[in-house]
Amino acid sequence: MGWTTGPTTMKRLIAIATAVLLVVATRDVPAQQAEHGVPELATGVCSACHGPQGHSISPVFPNLAGQQAGYIVLQLNAFRAHERGDPNARAYMWGMASQLSDATIKSLADYYAAQKPAPGESGDRALIAEGAKIYNQGVEANGVPACAACHGSDAQGKGAFPRLGGQHAEYLIAQLEGFQSGTRANAPIMDNVAHSMTHEQIRAAAAYAASR
Amino acid sequence: MMRNRARCPSGECSPASPPRGRLLAGNGYATTFLGALFVALAALLPARSADAVPSYARQTGLACEACHTAFPELTPYGRRFKLNGYTIDNLPQVSGISPTKQETLLLNQLPPLSFMFQTSYTGTKTALPDSVLPKSFAKNGQVLFPQQASLFYAGRIAPNLGAFVQMTYDGTDGEFGWDNTDIRFAKAINENLLLGLSLNNNPTVQDPWNSTPAWQVPFDQRSSVAPTPGAATMIDGGLVGAGVAGLTAYAYLYDSVYAELGGYRSAPAAAQIDSTSTNVVNGVAPYWRIAYEHQWGRHSWEIGAYGVVAKLYPGGGIALSGPANKYSDWALDSQYQYIGDDHIMSVTATYIDEKQSLDATYGAGASTNASDRLKTFRIGASYLYQRRYGAALGYFETTGSSDALLYPAGVPVVGFADGSPNSSGWTGELDWLPYENTKLALQYTKYSKFNGGSSNYDGSGRNASDNDTTYLLFWFNY
Repeated sequence: MGWTTGPTTMKRLIAIATAVLLVVATRDVPAQQAEHGVPELATGVCSACHGPQGHSISPVFPNLAGQQAGYIVLQLNAFRAHERGDPNARAYMWGMASQLSDATIKSLADYYAAQKPAPGESGDRALIAEGAKIYNQGVEANGVPACAACHGSDAQGKGAFPRLGGQHAEYLIAQLEGFQSGTRANAPIMDNVAHSMTHEQIRAAAAYAASR
Repeated sequence: MMRNRARCPSGECSPASPPRGRLLAGNGYATTFLGALFVALAALLPARSADAVPSYARQTGLACEACHTAFPELTPYGRRFKLNGYTIDNLPQVSGISPTKQETLLLNQLPPLSFMFQTSYTGTKTALPDSVLPKSFAKNGQVLFPQQASLFYAGRIAPNLGAFVQMTYDGTDGEFGWDNTDIRFAKAINENLLLGLSLNNNPTVQDPWNSTPAWQVPFDQRSSVAPTPGAATMIDGGLVGAGVAGLTAYAYLYDSVYAELGGYRSAPAAAQIDSTSTNVVNGVAPYWRIAYEHQWGRHSWEIGAYGVVAKLYPGGGIALSGPANKYSDWALDSQYQYIGDDHIMSVTATYIDEKQSLDATYGAGASTNASDRLKTFRIGASYLYQRRYGAALGYFETTGSSDALLYPAGVPVVGFADGSPNSSGWTGELDWLPYENTKLALQYTKYSKFNGGSSNYDGSGRNASDNDTTYLLFWFNY
């Protein structure tokens, strides 16, 4: 009866499955070698949301590729210390950062800073043009300073000031709204800036910065 | 999802398998009748359970919303957590290494345990007749307290090894038993390739999408005491009902292509396999799965196919040798999700086509046809506002070859009209999730056809609409 032949069939099945897995695995060896030195966390954990090499798909999760290492270190520390408490920071990053050592934080920051930034997001041209003015000159009437003063002329950021170029516009809007509402309260400079901005100005500035 | 014992106390879920009574036809009409009734009753009890476990939240430090839209439906991140073997961990660890710095132990300082409690109310449009049999029909207005209560071990076991293990007390049969189990090994080879193995006890329980049978949403929970249609395919509850254990290997490529291959053997709970068992797998039943997921912005869309080929000895009194029945199931599935900050939308659908070559059953004179066909289609859409208020609507339909012996007439409530397995209807649900780990659901199921007919389908005057079911569920996970 077939019952007695079961284990043989099972062995065959396992052998076939293993062979398939090996073939698939070995096909990707060059990619694996190219990534030698990548923090295992980035490959196995962070990429689930932030995407391979820090290029995320969903605008809920920021692109990390090409982000300033100093900024990443500050944020991971803020998550770990529960100092950054916007809804998604709480839901995802408080847990994720809780066991990170300073050394791991540094290596993750260096890894993502070294990745090629995402290309600028396209968007509504009129909105981007309006945003360009706010980004480069600020809004004098509301007392909004030029974004470029800290985030750089090409939105590349510097040190503690994050790269905004290539970021998801929707993510940037959510951050500015977080600064406004106080849910994200780990950047006093941005609190003041965001409080002076209207919703339209936020949308425009975010669209422009994301397009860089 | 269906629990082995609860759904199929006789170990025989699908009436597409030969009714036990018919196989014992020599013992007289009474045996036949009771056997058919028992089999049909077995198919009536689709106790389902849940994949939403606070111990994963405790282990990862992530809120439920990271992995679930509304539990048990998974988000894209939840799917990745599952595919990664439930191992992502942010807790203090007990660890060990060898002199060569290999990890020999990595264990959460606290065990990843969770508890689930469900209590429910069920009302059918027309009260059910007294079945006279224990653990079968409910008097109308049945309250189950609990409907199910489960203890989970759900979390990491070792660096690349994790578990979802569920033990459930079932309020319908009043017993504690083994439920869904998925123990998996997973390794990210690089950012574009993930490989894994899963040991599990229910084909599709290991699947990351909620369009396949084990975790299909919406309506993953239904009343465990109301009548439900009697015919189901093997991949859609038949195999898990008979009791199986499987090993599958999977690969996930470029965050989009999923391929899985494995096999299932019989492993009924609390039973040795002999001729008293039913639907015993001859050798190994191969299972396969392929899927493609595309994500853009806050949207994701999956399309896939899966199937199983099971050679089964009907058993139930006849030796596990000679001809076997062969069930070839193939299925298509698709899932769309939009996950916004305020608005969440999901649509899931599956179509299952089963070819039955009933060599054993037909040979024993227990089916009218040598081969039959059974098809199931389900589609459901759900909307969730601020992860707190939800509504869902879905259509279901099962159609197949008429077979007067396989789908016997003349049994109150569970009998079939004209030997037809056809059933169809709609389900609607309103949900309130006051917190991410608690749910209150009000569900209504409307049958346009039940076991082959709309009116007097059981020959005792019961109409399909008499089985329309109101179901109220309180569900707590902690």
